[in-house]
Amino acid sequence: MDYIGKFPNKLGRFGDFGGIFAPEILMPALDELNKAYKKYINDTSFQEEFYNILKHYSGRPTPLYYTSRFSEYIGCRVYLKREDLNHGGAHKINNVMGQALLAKKMGKKKLIAETGAGQHGFATAIAGAYFGMETKVFMGEVDVKRQAYNVYRMQLLGAEVIPVKSGSRTLKDAINEGLRYWIAHVHDTHYLMGSVVGPHPYPMLVREFQRVIGKEIKQQIFELEDKLPNAIIACIGGGSNAIGAFYDFVNDEEVQLIGVEAAGEGKETDKHSIALGLGRRGVLHGAMQYLLQNEYGNILETHSISAGLDYPGVGPEHCYLNEINRLIVGDATDKETLDAFKKLSELEGIIPALESSHAIAYLIKNKDEFKKDDIVVINLSGSGSKDLSIVSEHIKFKIEPKDIL
Amino acid sequence: MSNQNRLFKLFNDRKGNEKYFMPFFVAGDPSIDKFKEIVKNIEPYADIIEIGIPFSDPIADGPTIQEGNVRAFSSGINTKKALDAIKELRKFTEKPFIILTYYNILIQGAKTIEDSINITFKNLKESGIDGMVIGDLPIEEADLVLDACEKYDLALIFLVAPSTTEERLERILTKARGFIYLISVMGITGARETVAQVTKDNISRIKKKTNKNLPVFVGFGISKPEHAKTIIKAGADGIIIGSAIVDIIKNNLDNFSKMKEKLVEFHSKIKNSIK
Repeated sequence: MDYIGKFPNKLGRFGDFGGIFAPEILMPALDELNKAYKKYINDTSFQEEFYNILKHYSGRPTPLYYTSRFSEYIGCRVYLKREDLNHGGAHKINNVMGQALLAKKMGKKKLIAETGAGQHGFATAIAGAYFGMETKVFMGEVDVKRQAYNVYRMQLLGAEVIPVKSGSRTLKDAINEGLRYWIAHVHDTHYLMGSVVGPHPYPMLVREFQRVIGKEIKQQIFELEDKLPNAIIACIGGGSNAIGAFYDFVNDEEVQLIGVEAAGEGKETDKHSIALGLGRRGVLHGAMQYLLQNEYGNILETHSISAGLDYPGVGPEHCYLNEINRLIVGDATDKETLDAFKKLSELEGIIPALESSHAIAYLIKNKDEFKKDDIVVINLSGSGSKDLSIVSEHIKFKIEPKDIL
Repeated sequence: MSNQNRLFKLFNDRKGNEKYFMPFFVAGDPSIDKFKEIVKNIEPYADIIEIGIPFSDPIADGPTIQEGNVRAFSSGINTKKALDAIKELRKFTEKPFIILTYYNILIQGAKTIEDSINITFKNLKESGIDGMVIGDLPIEEADLVLDACEKYDLALIFLVAPSTTEERLERILTKARGFIYLISVMGITGARETVAQVTKDNISRIKKKTNKNLPVFVGFGISKPEHAKTIIKAGADGIIIGSAIVDIIKNNLDNFSKMKEKLVEFHSKIKNSIK
């Protein structure tokens, strides 16, 4: 299959998906961003600077770790791509450092970003501190309350957290408000989009900055196993960790690419975030994509135990890969995810993010599909330390005084 | 646009240097019945009536219009009910109706985007609508809509911003119908205190490139008769007021007769200020 480098076209389309459905007032800024991206993406000194930041600041390459106990439990050879070991505890850093470096080159002075769980906001606050750029993070009021720890971390790094009170007061509303702010401050401000969503060129730009994940996996798996993996599994909300892990394998059709969406309380309920699996085509936040929406095109409220997957749409490139049958779409419920979270913690001493736990849950559910010698790579997109307050409401332990003695 | 389109007729029959006032309302705000009654009340003072079809995620709108959308949704509005209301209003007036919405609202109803647009635009036409502004549809993505507008004799009204480059402006002007909707400042909708210099500069910039077949209307931020006067003086052909009107609705929710009274008073003042 000859896919890599072909998409998007110059209008930002992946097949029918993507595009630039943005207010006129933003079009010149999107055009400016696209031109800057084209100028710098193949510029050796830009690439070198980006590479050095990833290496010396974030700690890349991240390990591709063979799990022995978890592999035994599953019944095939399972590797974890340890994106949780990045500075900041998640893959988000790859994208924010790339975009902030680009913004700096463009002469922008300020960064704004949206955040759900706070991971992308935290990563943007890191970039803001690193580059000395004033940073504002828009966050739904509901999320501000349930992610107090992340709010504090962002503030500690000097970022201003702005609670969003409109709509459902979660991630999608934070994007709305971030875009509104950008409309009025576009001259000196870069909107640092956190996932492969939004109008062109964002889905392309974020993918290119996240591709490092898949490039490393490819090199590492050849060193370790001397062959391609049978499958790569990643969770999909907007889909940035998934596209990052998948992209350099799209041409290798023997590698199954499995994206796992959040089934929340179950796909038969209305409390889930299964945009690829159950959504309908539509336009939100600048791009044509699969959306959870009502018959009139108004966007539905979604649910997931992991705020990072709690989004009614999905990146346009995933929509296209799904349409051309290059992507296998699965899902995992909140409950399956919590079980997977606990299982990996116990078997490997690694606490996965709730988002990444969806990918683990998928493999646990479908372990019989894989043979003993099959190689499966799970993209462990982030660390679960941010999720402990949520998880502790569901998984409880007792300490008996007599045991301590 | 054919000579049957009410926008075409309005501008074709323009008397001298007549100036226009286009108020904006959110369909269903504060309720469907009250919305209809409000429009009937202010109709004598409006030259064109702009009606927002609510969308759940209106990224180009400020807090005032977002709240208007929320009130409309709470009153049970949806696209179908909004179009039904417009259809009823059409019986009372021959003034042009423009809708303002977002692209996703217009691409529902069939399996493909093309078929959906076809169904929707047929409905728009049958509801007595003459044109539309689509908040998130730049010229790059407008081909399907332009074809459907041609087919159903509707005007696609393009937004032009202070940030719009000369190159983009040229491109927009070749496709624009009805009038140009000039965004006064870099920002979202919402009432503002003063008229910025950038607004005046942009009016002259756009006016230089347009002729009498494509009047220039200015919107975003206009909240007082003095603003309207200043903008007209700077060369605009019409003014658009949204948030200041929606604010009057919001501030008088507990007293509908007072709300209507205030709205009529406001509309009459604005209309007089641009005469």
